[in-house]
Amino acid sequence: MLRVEHLTKIYPNGTVALKDVSFEVPDGEFLVVIGLSGSGKSTLLRCINRLIEPTEGKIYWNDVDITAASPAQLRQIRRQIGMIFQQFNLVRRSKVITNVLAGRLGYVNPWLSLLGIWPAEERRRALAALERVGIADKAYERADALSGGQQQRVGIARALMQEPRLILADEPVASLDPVLAHSILQYLEELNKEGVTVICSLHFLDLVHRYATRVIALKQGVKVFEGKPQEIDRQRFKEIYGEEAQEVRAASL
Amino acid sequence: MSERKWLLSAFLPGAGQFLGGRRYRGGAILLLWLILVVIVAAYGQPIWWISPILIWLWNIWDAFHLQRLGREASLFLPLLAGLSVLYGIGWQITQIDLRSADMRRALQIVRPMLRPDFVQPRRELNQMWVEILVPCKENPPRAFNKLDGKTAMATPDCARVGEVVIVSVQGLWPNTDTQIWWQTPIGDPKMLGPNESQMLILPTDDNGALSATIRVPTTALVAAPDPSLALPHRVYFDQYRNVGGWELSFNGREVLKGAGVTIAMALMATVLASLFAIPISFLAARNLMGGHPVTFAIYFAVRTFLNVLRSIESLILALIFVVIVGLGPFAGVLALALHSIAALGKLYADVLESIDPGPIEAIRATGANWAQVVRYAVIPQIISPFVAFTIYRWDINVRSATIIGLVGGGGIGYLLVELIRINDMRGVSAVFITIAVIVIALDVLSARIRERLV
Repeated sequence: MLRVEHLTKIYPNGTVALKDVSFEVPDGEFLVVIGLSGSGKSTLLRCINRLIEPTEGKIYWNDVDITAASPAQLRQIRRQIGMIFQQFNLVRRSKVITNVLAGRLGYVNPWLSLLGIWPAEERRRALAALERVGIADKAYERADALSGGQQQRVGIARALMQEPRLILADEPVASLDPVLAHSILQYLEELNKEGVTVICSLHFLDLVHRYATRVIALKQGVKVFEGKPQEIDRQRFKEIYGEEAQEVRAASL
Repeated sequence: MSERKWLLSAFLPGAGQFLGGRRYRGGAILLLWLILVVIVAAYGQPIWWISPILIWLWNIWDAFHLQRLGREASLFLPLLAGLSVLYGIGWQITQIDLRSADMRRALQIVRPMLRPDFVQPRRELNQMWVEILVPCKENPPRAFNKLDGKTAMATPDCARVGEVVIVSVQGLWPNTDTQIWWQTPIGDPKMLGPNESQMLILPTDDNGALSATIRVPTTALVAAPDPSLALPHRVYFDQYRNVGGWELSFNGREVLKGAGVTIAMALMATVLASLFAIPISFLAARNLMGGHPVTFAIYFAVRTFLNVLRSIESLILALIFVVIVGLGPFAGVLALALHSIAALGKLYADVLESIDPGPIEAIRATGANWAQVVRYAVIPQIISPFVAFTIYRWDINVRSATIIGLVGGGGIGYLLVELIRINDMRGVSAVFITIAVIVIALDVLSARIRERLV
């Protein structure tokens, strides 16, 4: 159970990215966050694992206050929260397997990891994670040799290594074409069915309808909607995205 | 009157254009013309007054053109006239004098350079000597020596400076040129040829025997503590013959040694510099230091310092370090290192500024600690460009180290200066060739390695 209470983020330059946002995410939910670019979706996701420090408000993860955690506690919390990024955020020059193993950094002996020594068990786990996303044969290639869809699968494998209880996915398919979008989101859906809570920001309404169990919408940092995906009709959509917005259908779905 | 406005240009260049509404053109013509006049007046030989006169005439033509035809005259003539006078004065100032180029002197220098002194045919030495007492004393020992089937003798057994002595030797190689020279008791060699400034060289006969008339060198006793004390001097007979194959000459060995020193200097300096430049570069990276006014001030100070340091040539630094630590490779290493710290610091900082923040965010999100983030998100991004830039710097430093040798920084450059001073042009050309080979080889090597890294 994740509980966000009165979350506010004001950047040093005065931009108000989030304004008094509160919501709850019960375990096992697939929560989709929608909103225009700059509406605060990314900031919200990054506040949850404190990649960005919230200005005000509390975030409870299984009744532990993330916002008050010490650095050591925070690392303990972070390692249970996998994160997937729009730009994949792989180390492009490193091998795929190294990128995947990096997901395990919160668990292994830090000294050995600094020397680049990984137990055989962890290597097996990494190969299994790559197997699961269907690119085990790419394990020893450089990350930048892979296509966009493959790179995002590496990103998912990295998150899998964390044995996450929660996955934060920041526009995971915005850089991919629509066909690939489904294959990526299906992995998240699968994980979700296994009991992992997913919080995912998305652009395409079709994808929202297809995957979300619940939706919240942000507009200029304020939560303007919370409810079932079916409740978002064209009227609501226009409210969230503004009058001029036209629903772009992810083609060939 | 108004139709004749262009005529004003005949009295003052640019006036016609100015009054005709082309103020900038008129002003520029006047200003540039005056500058030209001042330059010609200051440096000039009378012939160069042609140029301002031509421009003055052109200026009248231009004013006429503008007023009557509404078009500007071509700028070609004044530009040509102005530039040629500037070039002519430049010629005069830089003291170009083609008559000073002495072809004979040039050939004296270039001809030996066509035969670089690097290797020589491998030779073996056949040597014999005989001892003779200088000056005489009573009952001198016989000037006779027998060694390995060779005999040598001198008559008389003793002599004073300047006296004639007949020396003869038997059992040497037949029909072979033999160098005959004098050695004083303290080991100084003296030549026995004309004016005592050339080597006496005579061939042996069919039986390997030779006899020669020599004079005891006038300088034989110059360094003797007591010239009246009779001491044994030696006359040497040296024969050389090729035994096939080649070996490094003396200069060749020195050149190789110098090249080794130069490459090592560059290597030491580069490693030393990169050790310092790595931490400094973190302070000079805007993305790491921009967050806070204090860190930004440090960033700014470090960047400024690097830029100032980088603007001082390593050659200048070497001159200073030679004063501080003395002549030799160490001064060169320090100079190269200091300059390289600045250059590498900036290059490294540029690399750091261009790293992708995404992976850092991703690794932090896995629960990694600070060191793990650096190890898994920062270092993989910077290691290849850092290594590539360091190799590139080493390449540059080898070239600089050669120059630094010229001012006393050791290595092959220092050898080069010494060879030029003693006018050993064959050695100089061996140095040139070696430098070229090193630079080209290193250039190719570093390009290959960088290609694979980037």
